[in-house]
Amino acid sequence: MRSRALVLAGTVALALTACGGQDDTTAATPDPSAASAGGFEAVLAEAKGQTVDWYMYGGDDRLNTYVNGYVKTELAKVGVTLNQVKITDTAEAVNKVLGEKAAGKDSEGSVDLIWINGENFATLKQADAVECGYLEDLPSTKNVDLTKPGIATDFGLETEGCEVPWQQATSSLVYDSTALSAEDVASVESLFAWSQKNPGKLTYAAPPDFNGSMAVRTFFFDTAGGADQFLGTFDQAKYDAAAPKLFERLNAVEPSLWREGKTYPAAQTEVETLFANGEIDAYLTYGSSGIGALVDKGTLPKTTRSAVFQDGNIGNYSFTAIPSNAAHKAAAKVLANLLLSPPAALENAGPDGAGFTSAIDLAKLPADQGAEFEALGASPYQVPAAELAAKTLPEVVSEYVTELEKDWKANVLQQ
Amino acid sequence: MRRRGLPQGLRTSLLLAPALAVVLLLFGGGVVMGVLASFGYQPFLPGRELSLDAYRGLLDDVEVRRSLILTFRIALVSTLVSAVLAVGAALLLRGTRHGRRAALLVFQLNLPVPHLVGAAAMLLLLGQSGLVSRLLFAVGLVDAPSGAPILTNDAIGWAIMAEYVWKEVPFIGVVVLAALSGGVSDLEDAARSLGAGAWSRFRFVVLPHITPAVVSTSIIVFAFTFGSYEVPLLLGQPFPATLPVVAFQAYSDTDLTARPRAMAIAVVITFLVVLVVLAYTVLTERVLRPAERRRVAGT
Repeated sequence: MRSRALVLAGTVALALTACGGQDDTTAATPDPSAASAGGFEAVLAEAKGQTVDWYMYGGDDRLNTYVNGYVKTELAKVGVTLNQVKITDTAEAVNKVLGEKAAGKDSEGSVDLIWINGENFATLKQADAVECGYLEDLPSTKNVDLTKPGIATDFGLETEGCEVPWQQATSSLVYDSTALSAEDVASVESLFAWSQKNPGKLTYAAPPDFNGSMAVRTFFFDTAGGADQFLGTFDQAKYDAAAPKLFERLNAVEPSLWREGKTYPAAQTEVETLFANGEIDAYLTYGSSGIGALVDKGTLPKTTRSAVFQDGNIGNYSFTAIPSNAAHKAAAKVLANLLLSPPAALENAGPDGAGFTSAIDLAKLPADQGAEFEALGASPYQVPAAELAAKTLPEVVSEYVTELEKDWKANVLQQ
Repeated sequence: MRRRGLPQGLRTSLLLAPALAVVLLLFGGGVVMGVLASFGYQPFLPGRELSLDAYRGLLDDVEVRRSLILTFRIALVSTLVSAVLAVGAALLLRGTRHGRRAALLVFQLNLPVPHLVGAAAMLLLLGQSGLVSRLLFAVGLVDAPSGAPILTNDAIGWAIMAEYVWKEVPFIGVVVLAALSGGVSDLEDAARSLGAGAWSRFRFVVLPHITPAVVSTSIIVFAFTFGSYEVPLLLGQPFPATLPVVAFQAYSDTDLTARPRAMAIAVVITFLVVLVVLAYTVLTERVLRPAERRRVAGT
């Protein structure tokens, strides 16, 4: 495994030098089809010597290792220094950008790249603080289906070329197979029924935690009889008709949750610790593809399994975006491009990476490379990738998300 | 020793100028921006008028009301317990020179430890899968580690207060020990030779001597614990949370229109802490200083 990673790293270096050689000729002979490659050459040249400040959620150790190991090394090869700025909530980076813009700093801002999606992207776009229209310049974007609904729109909001796809997250239910049977994890209904027979062994993080918010949306779609009716723009009437039933249901199951539902973990890391310590027996996560590795490492017990509900699981794409006042836009573009390149994605999905699934469309890759991706990530402890993707429910516009978070707080947490 | 009045005043202001400039520009500037934002000032969202809506909203906000009570209770209890323990420890440990040196070492040991580390330690110690619950389980006092008393992320805030007390007892203690070294034992000897008992010596000699130190450090501790964020975030629960946690939650709300509410809470925290400090100033001027003056005049 490790030797293959090294070979891959070598391939990237070769590819980069090959690009450099190619460009000298294309510069001499103007060719419209080479315009984008030439555009990226200019970006690479400008990026050389820059330091890119990448603001990203810093709570995932394996992702941090991948970023400060593989990604940093690869960037250094093209003369770009990576500075990972770890944050606990993406909103912190967005706030920093908005604060700087409010102070009149429209260039030379301190945030170069943000790992982002959903509401945070909507906020940046609402404040007109995001760089747009450079996706065609990045060679890696040709491996992605930019017209796919989950990529062309981010939680219902048109991305309009203002963010570069990076990874996809699909949710699943992680559980201890000694405590729950396959029937118990078949649906939200059976999970709640199990919880009522086994009090104290189930919980979810309090929204606005990213994963906790997903858990509430999963319950919401299940209660309302499907996600499809909420696609498109926000419909207050539809929401008002469905939401009270959700809160009634969640309050009914609450006494059987962890600590009798009197409180909820504030963050997903707490939920995962509770599971690792055996305090709870099941939890919903976006990190479906990393479970096998956590079992192999001994963090989670060997009896850990994961499953998707028969009515589907929520999935989404996450992106990297460049604030409009970023000081090192060229270096940020180089980084965004690297993250989306097949070798980097393969490394990320593999045992030495974070176990995340790339936004790359495998159908757009050469067959042998696609097969390499499919071989990765198979583990007896987690749901196979094909099953994860089979019944993926779309994310809905961020108004639904924020309304649900706000109303969950008022109707469930504060009751 | 007397110096000429005016040059000394001028010199003092000049010497203070760099520090004051930092405080006024960075801190004062931040406060002004915060107050403006609490009125709804958001340059990146044009077309919004300034108003007091955010403050009006706080009045009937159940989250803020319950948070205020919780924050006040945690800060008050932590401060009182810290002060009592610190004075007790300082009095017990000042006896011999060796004792004092050892005590100072123990007191100063945790001063450089950040609150965040202390909070994480409390989590590992008092959490339901922490050391204490595992020990209770090991000796058979509870049926499962999760059967141990809930001390973290609870409604009372036990772990939050434990962390504050652990961190602030040495802080108050060190200052009290310093106050105790200022010739107070001579005064005690004098009182003893005049027939004063242990209680009288404590009440009329030691207590007046250390009161300014205890009160001033307690005010600092109260103001800090009232406005601290990371400890209640780690050890508290999502609702009710302390005011700084609620303010930061609102500040990191992805909806920009929630920003004035966050700033209004922050301004309320600042206002309440300033009130406490003002009360302290009045207290020391009216109550403590005359006593000190009398004592000084009497010697």
